[in-house]
Amino acid sequence: MLNKNIKNKLRKFTLPIVFLVAEILVWEFLTWILKIPDYLLPRPSRIIFEIFSQFGFLLKNLGITMSTAVSGYLIANLLSFITAVIFTHSKTIEKGFYPQIIVLKTIPILALAPLLILWFGIGFVSKIAIVSLVCFFPLLVNTLKGLKTVDEDTLAMFRSLSASKWQIFLKLRLPSSLPYLFSALKISTALSLIGAFVGEFISSNAGLGYLILSYTRTFESSAAFAVLAMSSLAGVLFFGLIAFIEKKIVFWQKPS
Amino acid sequence: MTPLIKIEKLTKSYNNLKVLNKINFGINEGEFVSIIGPSGCGKTTLLKIIGGLIEPTTGKIKVGEEAARIALKKRKFGFVFQNPVLLPWRNVVQNIELPLEISRDKNFKKTSRALLKIVGLRGFEKYYPNQLSGGMQQRVAIARALIFEPSILLMDEPFGALDEITRSQMNSELLRIWKKEEEKTSTIIFVTHSISEAVFLSDKVIVLSKRPAKIETILNIDLPKQRTMKIKNSKKYYDLIKCLTKILKTN
Repeated sequence: MLNKNIKNKLRKFTLPIVFLVAEILVWEFLTWILKIPDYLLPRPSRIIFEIFSQFGFLLKNLGITMSTAVSGYLIANLLSFITAVIFTHSKTIEKGFYPQIIVLKTIPILALAPLLILWFGIGFVSKIAIVSLVCFFPLLVNTLKGLKTVDEDTLAMFRSLSASKWQIFLKLRLPSSLPYLFSALKISTALSLIGAFVGEFISSNAGLGYLILSYTRTFESSAAFAVLAMSSLAGVLFFGLIAFIEKKIVFWQKPS
Repeated sequence: MTPLIKIEKLTKSYNNLKVLNKINFGINEGEFVSIIGPSGCGKTTLLKIIGGLIEPTTGKIKVGEEAARIALKKRKFGFVFQNPVLLPWRNVVQNIELPLEISRDKNFKKTSRALLKIVGLRGFEKYYPNQLSGGMQQRVAIARALIFEPSILLMDEPFGALDEITRSQMNSELLRIWKKEEEKTSTIIFVTHSISEAVFLSDKVIVLSKRPAKIETILNIDLPKQRTMKIKNSKKYYDLIKCLTKILKTN
C-alpha cells in the first residue's frame, strides 16, 4: 500500500524532472555552442557551482528574506482576519470602509514602499510593513467572501435550532470560510516574497533581494541566478507547506 | 379533541405579494399530515410559519397553548429540509449532536447511538457526509431532527432530491421510524410535490391552491393504519391518487 503510494508519487514527478533536466542540458549546450558571455546568460553548470560554493552565505540571506516575508505574511493574516470578522458583523463599518480599501488596493506597492520606509525606517519593520500591505488585500477579500458565502439552507437549519449569532459564526461561518481563506493564503505566499524583495530593493544591505541587485550591478550573473534559484525554491516550499496544512485542515474539500 | 396545532385566518404577504390567503386548519396530535400544492404556492412558507421560523402577517397560529415562536424555543419541533444540510467538516455523530451543542442542554438528550440505530446507520458513526449517499445523508438529517424527541416533525420535501427507488425506501423507513416513536405520538407535517408519496404516508392531505394559496381541500386518507408496500396495489390507493390528481389539475 505504502509502496504503491510512493510509486504513484514518483510517477507524478518523473515527467517534470525529465523535462527540467533536458532543458538544463539544452541550455548548457547552447550557451557553450553559441559562446554566450557569462554575464548575459550563465551556464547552468556555473550556476549550480555557484549555489554549492556559496551555499552557507545564500542560506543566511535566504533566512533574512524569508523571516521578513513570513512575519509580514503572519501579520497580514491576523489583521485581515480581524478586519473581515468586524466587517461581517457590522454592515455600516463595512460599507464605510470598503471603498477606501479598494482605492488603497489600487495603489501599486512600489509607489507606497518608499513612504513606508520613510515612516518605519530602513530596518526590518518597514519591510514587514510592505509585505503585510501586499498580502493584506487578497486575504481580506477572500476571508470576507468566505465568511459571507454561507449556504442559505444551512443557515436556516441553524436558525431552526435557535442558534446565536456567535454560534453561527463559530460553528458555521468560520469553518465554511476555510477553503476561501486557504486559497488566499496560498496566493499570498508568493506575494509575501514579492513584498520582501521590494523592501530589499529599496533599502537594505542583506537578503536575497539585495544580493540580486548587487550581483547584477557587478555583472555577476551566475551568482544572481543562484539567488534566483534559492528564492524560487523557498517560494515553492512555502507554498507547499501551506498547501499541506490546507489538506490537513480543509480535509472535506476535494482538491480542485 | 382539540387539535395540537391550530391555524386561524392566517395570511402571509411579502411586500405586496400575497403568498398565503386566509388559511384555516387544525392538526391533531399523532397525525401524519401532508401539504401538497403547485410549485411556488407557499407550502414551505406555511411550514416555516408553523415551525415559528417566520411570523405570519395576520392570523393566528397556536401550537398547544403557545405561539409557534415559543414552541420553537422550547424545542417542540424537529426540522428536516430538502437538502440534508449536514456540515461537511463534522462526522455523522458530530452532525447529529449539533443541536445539543447549540442548546447546551444535556437533559432530554437521546443518544446519537440510539438514533443511529433507529435510522439504520449503525457503524457509520465516524463517516463524513461526503462519504455517504444522498439517502444516507437524509437519514442523518432525520436523526439530527429527532435528537430532542420533538413532538412535531416538520419535513420540507425531505426526499425530493432522491431517486424514485431510494425515495420509496425512505418513505417506508420514515413510517417505521414514526411508528417506533409512537409511544411519544409525534406529529409529522410533511411538504411534498409527490401525490403518491402524500397518499402513501399521510392520514390527512392538505391541498393548497396556487398563489395566493388558500386551502383547496383537506382529504382524509382512509387507508389502513399499517402502511405496507401492499397498499400500493390496492384500488383504494389508486382512487385516492386519482382523486388528488384531479383536484390539483382543476385548480
